[in-house]
Amino acid sequence: MSGPRRLALPRTARVRAAPGGQPLAVDGHAIAHVRESWLVEDRWWTDQPLRRRYWELVSETGRDLVVFHDLADGHWFRQR
Amino acid sequence: MIACVLIPRFELVVAAGGLEALAGRAVAIAPDGGSGPIGEVSGAAQAFGVHSGMALGEALARCPALELLSADPIAVAAAWERTLGTLEGIGAGVEPQRPGLACFSLDGLRRLHGGSDELVLAAARRALDRPARLAAAPTRFCALAGALATRPRRTLIIHDGARAHLAPLPVTLLRSRERTAWLTDALKRLGIATLGELAALPRASLADRFGAAGSEAHRLACGEDDPPRPRRIETPLEESLELPEATGGPGLERALEVLIDRLLARPERRGRTLRAATLAARLIDGGSWRSGVTFREALAQPQRMRLALAPRLAALPSPASVLTLTAERFGPPTGEQRALLDQADEHRRARLREAIQQMRSAAGADAALRVHCLELDSRVPERRVMLTPFES
Repeated sequence: MSGPRRLALPRTARVRAAPGGQPLAVDGHAIAHVRESWLVEDRWWTDQPLRRRYWELVSETGRDLVVFHDLADGHWFRQR
Repeated sequence: MIACVLIPRFELVVAAGGLEALAGRAVAIAPDGGSGPIGEVSGAAQAFGVHSGMALGEALARCPALELLSADPIAVAAAWERTLGTLEGIGAGVEPQRPGLACFSLDGLRRLHGGSDELVLAAARRALDRPARLAAAPTRFCALAGALATRPRRTLIIHDGARAHLAPLPVTLLRSRERTAWLTDALKRLGIATLGELAALPRASLADRFGAAGSEAHRLACGEDDPPRPRRIETPLEESLELPEATGGPGLERALEVLIDRLLARPERRGRTLRAATLAARLIDGGSWRSGVTFREALAQPQRMRLALAPRLAALPSPASVLTLTAERFGPPTGEQRALLDQADEHRRARLREAIQQMRSAAGADAALRVHCLELDSRVPERRVMLTPFES
């Protein structure tokens, strides 16, 4: 193996969000419903703290999506 | 003739980041786990009466300004490996004794380097990238005594008999050997201060009083010693895993399982069993930790390797940020021993192994993988599972 292979690695996503942070569209798919949102804060004791706002969404086509907003660098990622 | 290479304070210099960093500073390697004796000390600390092996409390009482550095066994092992490689580069069959101390036979090297012992030692000094004390003598023990007595950047060659050279030297030299280290205090209490006085005693009496260690000490004092046993040069295989958070207990064991699977799947192993492995960790609060394991018999079964290695993880002094497993020595290829009774399971497993081997040779190392659960309860999805090589 060429290196550690973790599953469910985050992939960059194009997200259009409302001013409050709620995603309105993910990779061009309009969002119909927000199922859940939660905050993950971890490794705050290290030099690389992890702060993510997760959103579990349902698109207008019925797909279930999980995206998160990296609160440290401001980028959006998909995780499912 | 045997040459001895002694690089004083090797571990301390590596931990401090170089010889210059030690200049004028009273520094010592911190005790393992925060208590117990200190490690190597700098010259400035030695001037205060602090020495290696002293209790931390006593060392601080003697030198209140003593700075403590975390031991860095991973960096020490890497630096020592480079040094040994350098010596092997001049053609020497090197026997490493501990980081900073090695010896090799000069026989067979003279004609390579100009025809004399002096020229071989000069070649060794040129090859080394740091100041070292070099000495040559008829035996390993005598060569070490010479290296301890010589000044840095100087070379000492003892041509006369080893026994005559060792005779006036103190018995504390026996501390350099693990088997005889404990004898020195007892000998001093009996009024035996020099190796010459020890050599004058009957060997049978020493063996009677101190057992095998007494006999060994007498041999050394008489200028007898075993020849160097050069190490076998094998390219170690190494696998590392970054631990995203301060993982402990079961999390660490699962990380170890991943490393074992990955190590056993390396094509460079070529089916060989493992005789010895090293488990190392870079610690989250600086420094590192290292523990070597020699297996009771050469093996290649992941379950048995896990049983031997997992208890070592309990000795980690603090949480780890990177865990590394290195295969240091290899045994013969896995034997296919036939079972006394017909075992269908074993037969199926052998066919599966063969199938996986064929798949890997056709499609590469990633052809057969399995999902390994690392931290199923983690709130961060990418930490939960990972792919590792499939081992039947």
